[in-house]
Amino acid sequence: MIRYLAKRLARSVITLIIIISIVFLLLRLMPIEGYFQNYDKLTKGQIHTGIVNMGLDKPIPVQLKNFFIQLLHGNLGVSRIYRANVPITEILAGKVPISLTLGGISLILSLVLGIPLGTLMARFKGKFWDRFGTAFIVFIQAVPAAVYYLFIQVFGYEYLGFSMLFKKGDFTTWILPIISLALGNIAYYSMWLRRYMVDESNKDYVKLAVAKGVSSKDIMMKHVFRNAVVPMIQYLPSSFLNTVIGSIYVESLYSIPGMGGLLVDVVKRQDNTMVQAMVILFACVGILGLILGDILMTILDPRISFNKKGGAR
Amino acid sequence: MEKEIVLSVKNLNVKFKLRGRALHAIRDISLDVYKGESLAIVGESGSGKSVFTKAFMGLLDKNGYIESGEILYKGQNLAAFKTEREWQSIRGREIAMVLQDPMTSLNPLKTIGAQIGEAIQLHQGLKGKDLKAAVLEILRDVGITEPERRYKQYPHEFSGGMRQRVVIAIGIACRPRTLICDEPTTALDVTIQAQILELLKSLKKKYQLTTLYITHDLGVVANVADRIAVMYAGDIVEIGSCEEIFYDPRHPYTWALLSSLPQLGVKGEELYTIKGTPPNLFQTIKGDAYAPRNPRALKIDFVERPPYFEVSPTHRVRSWLMDSRAPKVDPPEHIKKLRSQGGIYR
Repeated sequence: MIRYLAKRLARSVITLIIIISIVFLLLRLMPIEGYFQNYDKLTKGQIHTGIVNMGLDKPIPVQLKNFFIQLLHGNLGVSRIYRANVPITEILAGKVPISLTLGGISLILSLVLGIPLGTLMARFKGKFWDRFGTAFIVFIQAVPAAVYYLFIQVFGYEYLGFSMLFKKGDFTTWILPIISLALGNIAYYSMWLRRYMVDESNKDYVKLAVAKGVSSKDIMMKHVFRNAVVPMIQYLPSSFLNTVIGSIYVESLYSIPGMGGLLVDVVKRQDNTMVQAMVILFACVGILGLILGDILMTILDPRISFNKKGGAR
Repeated sequence: MEKEIVLSVKNLNVKFKLRGRALHAIRDISLDVYKGESLAIVGESGSGKSVFTKAFMGLLDKNGYIESGEILYKGQNLAAFKTEREWQSIRGREIAMVLQDPMTSLNPLKTIGAQIGEAIQLHQGLKGKDLKAAVLEILRDVGITEPERRYKQYPHEFSGGMRQRVVIAIGIACRPRTLICDEPTTALDVTIQAQILELLKSLKKKYQLTTLYITHDLGVVANVADRIAVMYAGDIVEIGSCEEIFYDPRHPYTWALLSSLPQLGVKGEELYTIKGTPPNLFQTIKGDAYAPRNPRALKIDFVERPPYFEVSPTHRVRSWLMDSRAPKVDPPEHIKKLRSQGGIYR
């Protein structure tokens, strides 16, 4: 397993190097306005000295090499336009934890509610809980998120006395955004869990378990649930890490100073170094999520082997 | 010798609700199963042989129900069981089942030890070391070598034949009195089939089991059964000892079934097939269900359902041909040949 992991990590590092190189090279094609906050007001001489100071006059391979050295020191560079001359790591350090905490809590909430809902739906297929859950899922899927986000905010403010705006120190202001973020995921998890559990409970091993006298509750919990979770578990690390990207709509609705919309923002404002840093961050998140997902799968399903190729079945 | 009856089915009717219509899957079957015997239920696909035995364990699909009749077991009427709790006193503990396809009948995510242990724990309440020892003993009983190592393995690490041994181990794990084997060898290759049948026979002896085999393979039947019940369209049309069914079959359907044996075919000739299709069980069947496919059908076969006629104390046939007023009809040539050949035993 360790050998496999090392191989897998090495491959990921290569992928990452390729991604970083491509992003870096592409951004070098951008106009140099993206390096100056007040490009229009500068003289040609000032621009030239600026370029030299930033090392942008050197040949591209040298720049790339310098960029990698800088990355290895944990330095993503300096923002040029978004917040001029502030290190990007510092900007992100203020934003990432907020999005990650909100997203993480909402993910936990959606698992805590979505898994029991999906299980109930599968266990009482065609009965009350199934219909209730289906109605909920259809509602969440069919109504545009913006509509119920607004409804939650207005309802929470008018009738429950919650604040309309987010304050970092005041946990009550976190509740509404977390619920808003969780609703979609609750629907998603319960829908897929129900589906996988219904699929599993029609399999032969369930029939044998009934025949050997296991109660239907134990069959659901000990046999069906675990089999149904395997195909879902793979995406769990990715969903958690992806909360780093933040939600544009929820974060702007409650004025949350998170990551939501930051990438769009810096692209629009042509802050070259910021774009570069964020693309790299998201690429890391994606790759890490996949690795962790695969590891979880292997832990849960003995048929998946790290070592042999296509060994099982 | 008076034989003890373990399971007694009386006028059992099972129906399935399908899109508002009722399918009459088991039509008024009565059957006694004797202690320690090995009874084979044979019939083509859809004849209801599997449904019939599933009714003994409350394993009918959700839309299936027992309309009338009794299944008497140890003084209880299983047909009246409603709750899961009632069934759990029977399932695994009294009657156990071996399913057809060992590739799918084990949970892929649990070790073999855990799956056998679950049954033992449930019915005998063993835990920890005792539980493991019991599981290892059963693994040895079903002929799995190196049980210590196998105990910790998952189903995908076993071959088909080995998995079927594990499924059988689960079946006998709770020391049931009756074991129902639903086509236990159909999914296995021929070399393994014989081994599994041998295993079932030896376990039957060791644990003094009553075994019910559901199969369409007459070769399997000849190998293991004491008695044979031939099912057609949800009814037992003929029942008798193994010798009686093979050497002296009386029902035209049994003749046809035996004639279909490839062993009886003449080289170069086409194999015998039964013309037509089984009746539609959504409709009420009038007369003898087999009549439309029976070239020797009498007029009365289309009018009234035949009663059972007794050929011998152990041999009953539901066919008007047995009536004293019926014309004498000889069994087809194949069957006589079977008699002279000494059956399909080789």
